[in-house]
Amino acid sequence: MLVDKGKLIKTTSLANTLSTFLFEPSGFIPFPLAWEWQRNWQKALLSKEDGNQAVWILQHPRCYTMGRGASERNLLFDPRNSSMDLYRIDRGGEVTHHLPGQLVVYPVLDLHRHKQDLHWYLRKLEAVLIDVLDHLDLEGETIPGMTGVWIKGRKVASIGVGCRRWVTQHGLALNIDCEMDGFQNVIPCGLHECPMGRLKDWIPGISVPEVQPLMKKAISKAFNITWKKQPLPESRPGQIKKKS
Amino acid sequence: MATHDIFMPALSSTMTEGKIVEWLKKPGDKVERGESVLVVESDKADMDVESFQEGYLAAVLMPAGSNAPVGETIGLIVETEAEIADVQAKAPSPSTHETSKEKAKEVPKSAKASSEATSEKSTAIKEPVSSSNQSQVDIKTAPIVNTGRIVASPRAKKLATQKGVDLATVIGSGPHGRIQAEDVNRALGQPITVPWIAESNAPASLLADPSTNKNSNKKGTTSPDALIGKSFGKPGEVIAFNALQQAVNRNMEASLTTPCFRVGYTISTDKFDDLYKQVKPSGVTMTALLAKAVGLTLARHPQVNAANSPEGINYPSQINVAVAVAMEDGGLITPVLQKVDSTGLIELSKQWKDLVSRSRTKQLQPEEYSTGTFTLSNLGMFGVDRFDAILPPGTGAILAIAASRPTVVAGKDGSISIRKQMQVNLTADHRVIYGADGAAFLKDLAHLIEVRTDELAG
Repeated sequence: MLVDKGKLIKTTSLANTLSTFLFEPSGFIPFPLAWEWQRNWQKALLSKEDGNQAVWILQHPRCYTMGRGASERNLLFDPRNSSMDLYRIDRGGEVTHHLPGQLVVYPVLDLHRHKQDLHWYLRKLEAVLIDVLDHLDLEGETIPGMTGVWIKGRKVASIGVGCRRWVTQHGLALNIDCEMDGFQNVIPCGLHECPMGRLKDWIPGISVPEVQPLMKKAISKAFNITWKKQPLPESRPGQIKKKS
Repeated sequence: MATHDIFMPALSSTMTEGKIVEWLKKPGDKVERGESVLVVESDKADMDVESFQEGYLAAVLMPAGSNAPVGETIGLIVETEAEIADVQAKAPSPSTHETSKEKAKEVPKSAKASSEATSEKSTAIKEPVSSSNQSQVDIKTAPIVNTGRIVASPRAKKLATQKGVDLATVIGSGPHGRIQAEDVNRALGQPITVPWIAESNAPASLLADPSTNKNSNKKGTTSPDALIGKSFGKPGEVIAFNALQQAVNRNMEASLTTPCFRVGYTISTDKFDDLYKQVKPSGVTMTALLAKAVGLTLARHPQVNAANSPEGINYPSQINVAVAVAMEDGGLITPVLQKVDSTGLIELSKQWKDLVSRSRTKQLQPEEYSTGTFTLSNLGMFGVDRFDAILPPGTGAILAIAASRPTVVAGKDGSISIRKQMQVNLTADHRVIYGADGAAFLKDLAHLIEVRTDELAG
């Protein structure tokens, strides 16, 4: 279809005609590596108005991340005297725990093409999670004023977003069949009364591969995205050199 | 000279204010066009705010950690290096704002260093300014202390227009000499209104901060000035609701769907007031004492701590008492004292002072004002003898507390005495709390305040 880009760019109707790559690297991706992929992609997208968007769906090895405004009071271990991996990163929100058995989704989207509204974006990510849970016959809930998704009073998914000129990075983390002990080391999201949960608590035997396709579908539906074929092997993000 | 304002950006159509997480540049730093200058957070989303101009960051008007309404000027960019000192000179007083002090620990090193640097410069340049420009102004007006660009809060600007105060003559007490509404009032010689916080349930002289308004304090009565009702606009004007007022409106409108009833009680406070006198020297406030009394009674009446939810009656795991505080620039906020039943009086008082000082500077975290399970509203300091309150959504009950006043009381044995009595009035959601529940709660609260007063001190 021939369209006058000058007229249509930055309107919602164009969102589905702009392609988005989906990356689902296997294994447990070290946090700094996934972060670097997102930053590089964000940078590229910022420099090119009609560049491709990207979404990563992956798992991390055990680590903790803190938003820029996060308080160390919510860490129940001494960050300077601990073997745990802790990263202070450029997103909103308090401390978050990542680990195998938790699915993280990192959309690098240009909100000019969707809606220039970060609260809308946060609500949309919540809607994605509720959609995924709905497919599993679980009832996800949101609590006004507290971003995230809960099941029966237990928080199963956390959200934290960073944004530069309306191009997003970071995203959401959904606990599926992860161990729960690591959450004892922090006050998740800075909330004292915030019991954490995982889908396994309600669906014994559930695992990440079962949820991942649902997540992929829910993201594409929520943001009106058609996945583009994987780029040529040489530009695959998995091959970006690891920082020494 | 060209000065460009950096505004608090709207990250969302539903965003009313944002938190400055970090200044990535410090005053004096060169800023390229499109370069990130600071990071703003709203909800769980961070946004890098970039400069639209090439130039130098001349001033940081709101420190990291503080909140600012959307559209508020939070920093200044100038085009040339020479203009930096010029802009910084407009800051007449060093940054003594309590936010910067309180948040000092969390402020990144760069921002802290810069605020110190600007303070030094500004005090050095402060004096000569007024003398050189005084000749230009009418002699009857106050001396000019600000020249060129004036940095003032929107409320201060509005107030200054209403009262006909020239902001050039007002010394700002905010960060980097920013003029606040209090400064305009001070310039007018008016008593400074503080948020209406109940620190006494006696019909005390109201509003005025004793340290700045000796007038009413000495006489023990209220000065006529302080009785003048406040208004946010001039006659004939329509003033848009601010963010906080809008939030209150939403909550109050939501209450219209709640089937409420009211039940009242008269409580003698002589023993309670004696206790207050005893514990006051150790820093205990009346708010903490009242909250404690309510918290201990709620522990014995969990039904009154409960709230309606779609699933049924929701019994919270904690007893969190929210206390309504009117804000000077409109709206109100309900800072929350957590686990009141199991927290000591002194600790509660300490927490309350901290919550109040941070609510004044709008630095409360959502969980610090939205997690109340029961609300107190005290208008005792105005001397009102009764009122009822509107139930905040998500809770089951709110208690309106009026002034304690000496009253002639007839005893059961026919004796007549004078006792101090206050009326309290409970508004409750009838779906959760029935008349008998509310009445039993009030009876027990009265018994605690009148008879079992010792339990409060423990």
